[in-house]
Amino acid sequence: MASADEPVRARSRRGADRYRWSARGFVAPGVFLVAVLLYLPLLWTTFLSLTDYNGLRDPEWTGIDNYTEMFSDPQFVGSMLNTLLWVAGTLIVPVGIGLGVALLTWNLKGGTWLRLPFLIPYALSGIGVGVIWSFILGSNGALDQALAAFGIADTPRWLLDSPLNTIVMIGATAWQGVGVNALLFTIGLQSIPKEPLEAARLDGATGFRLFRSILWPMLRPLTAVVVGLSIVASLKTFDIVQGMTKGGPGQSSETLALTMYKKTFVNSDYGLGSAIAVFLTVVTLIASILYLRQQLSSKHEG
Amino acid sequence: MSRVIRTTVLAVLGLIWLLPVYLLVINAAKAPATFTTTQSWKPTDFSLLDNFGEAVRLSGLSESIVATLIYALVAPAIAVVVGAAAGFAIVALKLKRGFLWFVVIFGGTVFPIQMILLPLFDAYSRMSLFDTKLGMIIVYAAVSIPFSAFVMRNFFTGIAHNVFEAAVIDGASTWRIFARVYLPMASSALVAIFILQATFIWNDFLLGLVLSQSGDVRPIVTSLAGMQSTYGGAQMSVVLAGGLLVSLPTVVLFLFTQKFFARGLALGQY
Repeated sequence: MASADEPVRARSRRGADRYRWSARGFVAPGVFLVAVLLYLPLLWTTFLSLTDYNGLRDPEWTGIDNYTEMFSDPQFVGSMLNTLLWVAGTLIVPVGIGLGVALLTWNLKGGTWLRLPFLIPYALSGIGVGVIWSFILGSNGALDQALAAFGIADTPRWLLDSPLNTIVMIGATAWQGVGVNALLFTIGLQSIPKEPLEAARLDGATGFRLFRSILWPMLRPLTAVVVGLSIVASLKTFDIVQGMTKGGPGQSSETLALTMYKKTFVNSDYGLGSAIAVFLTVVTLIASILYLRQQLSSKHEG
Repeated sequence: MSRVIRTTVLAVLGLIWLLPVYLLVINAAKAPATFTTTQSWKPTDFSLLDNFGEAVRLSGLSESIVATLIYALVAPAIAVVVGAAAGFAIVALKLKRGFLWFVVIFGGTVFPIQMILLPLFDAYSRMSLFDTKLGMIIVYAAVSIPFSAFVMRNFFTGIAHNVFEAAVIDGASTWRIFARVYLPMASSALVAIFILQATFIWNDFLLGLVLSQSGDVRPIVTSLAGMQSTYGGAQMSVVLAGGLLVSLPTVVLFLFTQKFFARGLALGQY
C-alpha cells in the first residue's frame, strides 16, 4: 500500500495500474454473488437436464433422454402452444393499447391525469391481479352478473375451457401492462424533435398519415425494446396462471414455466424439469438476441 | 383527431380500466356475513378494516409483512451498492478487461429464473439456508445486482474522468472517492434502481414459493397465494381485502414515484 505522503506525481504516472487491485476489489463482490447464485446453478441445471435425478439418489447420466421424452410428451407440446399464445397475445394487446393510449394523450391537456387509471394496476403483483380477476371471471362472478343484466345468461366458462382461459388471462395481464407501455411510448413521443413534426404538419399530414410517416419510424427503436421486453416477459409467464387456474383444469392452461415448476417440485422429476428450464432459456435467449439485433440495426439506419 | 374526441375515448377507456379496482374495493369492504356472490357490483357495508384484520389473522400475514419489508429494504440496498461498486471499478478505476466483467455480471439477468430454482433449492437445503431470512436476502440481492450494475456503469460513464483525478490529487483513497464523491453524485440513479428492485422483490412469488415455507420467512405475495387457495371459497371478501392490503404499498409507491420509475426503466433500456 502506498504511504500517504508519497508524491502526487509518482501516483498519476503509474496511472490505471496503480488501481489494479483496488479495481478488482470493487468488482469482486458483484462477480462473486452473480457467479455463485446465478451461474453455478445455471450450469448445474444444464448438467441435471442430462441425468435422471430425483434428489434422493445421485444423478444418473442419461444423455438426451429427458429432451426426447419432453418433445414426445403431448402435455409439454400443449404448454408450448399456450406459451406461444401468451407471446402473441401480450404482443398485440398490451403493446398495441399502450401505444394507442400514448398517442391519444400526446400533447393533450390533462393527459397525465387521463393516463393515471392505466398506471394503477402496473405495480400490482401477478398474484394480486390473479385474486381480482379470479373474482371477476369465476362462474357467476362479477362479469357474468353484468352480462346477465344485459340479458346474456348463457355465458362462456371463462376459466374452465381451453383456450379461452389462456385468452382471458392474457386480458388480465393486458389490464396490468398497458400503463407501463403507455408511459414508455409517451417518453418516446416526447423525445421526438419538433422540426420534422412541424414540417409534416405544414405539408398537411395529420392523423394516421402523420403517425405512419413520422411518428412510427421515429418510435421504432423504442418499439423494438418494448416488444422485446414483452416477448421475454411473456415467455416466463408463471405468477398469474398459478394464481388463477394453477394451469388447469387438467393441464389446459399450463405455460412452460408452470410445467417446469410442476415436473420439478410436484413430481420430483428433476431431470425432466431441468430439461424444460434449459429449453425455456434457449428460447428466451434467441428472442433477446433477435430484439437486441433489431434495436441495433434500427439505430444504424437512423 | 379533435381534443374532445380524444379526451372522451381516454376517459371511457380509463373508467373501464378502473372497474376491477372498484370491484376489488367494494367487495373487500363487505363483511363475510353480508358478502354474496350474486351482488358483486353494489356496495353494501364498510367492514374493510375488519377484513384487513381478519386477513392478517387468518394467514399470518403480519409476520410475512415484516419479513417482506426486510427483504424489500435490505436486498436492493445491497444490490445498489454492489452494483455501483462494480460500475465504479469498470469506469472510474478502469478495470482491466472491464467490459468483459461487465458482460459477465449483466449476463446474470438474461436467463429465466427457472434455470436456477432447483439447484438453489437443493443447495439451500444442504447449507441450512432454506427457509431463512438470510437466504432470501442473499438470493434477492443476487438477482438484483445485474440490473443495478448495468444502470450504474451507464451512469458513471457520463461522469468526466477528471472528477476522479481531482479527488486523487486531493489525496482521497479509492474507497473514499467511491463513498463520498461517486455515490452522492449518483443518488438519483441509486434511488431509481432501489425503487424498481424493491417493487420487484415485494411482488415476488416464485422464489418465495420455492425457497421458504414458514410464516415468518415467507414473502407476502406467496402467503397471499396460499390464503387464496385456502380461503378463496368461504371467505372471499377477506381474501380480496388481503389482496388489497398486499398491493397498496407498491401501488402507492409507484404512483408517487412515476418519474423515478420511468427514469429507471429508461436507464435500464438504453
